[in-house]
Amino acid sequence: MALLRRTRVHIWFRLLLLQGSWNFERLQGLGFFFALLPGLKKLYPKEKLAEVGRHYLGYFNTHPYLAPLVAGAVLKLEEDRAKGQQPPVEIEEFKEMVAAPYAAIGDALFWGGLRPLAAGIALFFAAKGILWAPLVFLFLYNLIPMLFRISGFIRGYQQGIASVEFFQKRRLPDWAIHTKEAAVVVLGGLSAFLVFQHLQRIDMVSWVGLLAIVPVIVLGLLARKGVSTLLLVLLSAATIILLSLFWTDVTSLVAMI
Amino acid sequence: MSAFDFFIGAMVALFCGLDRTAILQVMISRPIVAAPLVAWLLGEPLVGLQVGMMVELLWLARLPVGAAIPPDDTQVSIASCVIAINLGRLLQVPSSEIVLLCLLVAIPLGKVGQYLDHIARQINVRLLLSAEERLVNGQFLRAEVQHFKGMTNFAIATLGTYTVVVIGTFMLVPIIWPLVENALYHSSNWLELALPLIGVAVILGTINVSRALTLFCASFGMAFLLMWLV
Repeated sequence: MALLRRTRVHIWFRLLLLQGSWNFERLQGLGFFFALLPGLKKLYPKEKLAEVGRHYLGYFNTHPYLAPLVAGAVLKLEEDRAKGQQPPVEIEEFKEMVAAPYAAIGDALFWGGLRPLAAGIALFFAAKGILWAPLVFLFLYNLIPMLFRISGFIRGYQQGIASVEFFQKRRLPDWAIHTKEAAVVVLGGLSAFLVFQHLQRIDMVSWVGLLAIVPVIVLGLLARKGVSTLLLVLLSAATIILLSLFWTDVTSLVAMI
Repeated sequence: MSAFDFFIGAMVALFCGLDRTAILQVMISRPIVAAPLVAWLLGEPLVGLQVGMMVELLWLARLPVGAAIPPDDTQVSIASCVIAINLGRLLQVPSSEIVLLCLLVAIPLGKVGQYLDHIARQINVRLLLSAEERLVNGQFLRAEVQHFKGMTNFAIATLGTYTVVVIGTFMLVPIIWPLVENALYHSSNWLELALPLIGVAVILGTINVSRALTLFCASFGMAFLLMWLV
């Protein structure tokens, strides 16, 4: 028995709530069970459902944008199993096999690459005082993840285990690196823009702005050494406030003389 | 502070806070979205844009990977906006300086969000066990309900963080303001520039790209020279 389109859409929407019951023991386990339950209910009689459902309550953790790909493939395998066909690998094994690599790729591509890239671009708009900046960010950021969420689920359901090959062919780890590199370039441009804009606002000579690269690199090295962002913020704020006060005193003293 | 403003802030905090982990993850929880949204609802969208710009990059490098919980920049930015807008009207002071002070006070309080989020995730372990028990008994609907209870725990943690950050900032800022007012007038421009640059620096220091520094310097230099010379 094949799952109706309506049931599949229902499951896809439930996957948007995947992390609603995230916990330290089995991470997204309960959420994955919650998402798949409408499908499992259609495939299994009530007496077998408890046994099947318990497998889904186990440990599960992947990237939320790639979970629909796993869920689609798992549904396909469950469908085959309910028909009496033995899947080439155990569904439990398949789930465990793909969840961790998908999580690693998703984290690098979406959290580590796409998010700073979209934020960097949106901040150009924000720096210009354009009120659409949040919408620019939402549009740029969500375009690709939403595509993955929708097409991943469809591909997963159509291809089952073969969806892994589809995923491999897209060379996502390479894309993650390229996206991160693009993010660094955009952030470099953004920093230059912010510094230049600031110097113009306070009527200071522009070339001084090139020196801004030094504190950024120093702070970056400190962050790499493990110094917390909070500490960097507080130390930098205190330094700037003290230097500003000192500079104000010096200029007023010079004016008096 | 107006109770209505606090309520509006709480609603945005709840909606955006749930997006961080529990539902959707469409990034309405990012400061660049959440802060302008709440500030727009309170009638001063530019304050939100200013806050969003300063906070957005700070913890962007802290990825919510596995069991890692980054500091709650969503509630920091929302609470800063609510307090800055209210105190700005109350104390009749320029918004830029008061926004900065609210932000500098709220940023350390963002750690509370990490703590409360951690508690919510611990409580959710019990829900998992409860769901298992219900499933064995054939109570499928009740097993599903456990998932919604998990979302409720995240919602409570979110609102708890918002309340702590709002109350903390609201109590501390009027005390600190007279002490740092003069200093902030002289340094606000530089602080506004420094916060996003610290965020960029942290991303640069932690991003896993082999030529990050070269790319950054080349991009910075090229963009700066273009703006300077053209």
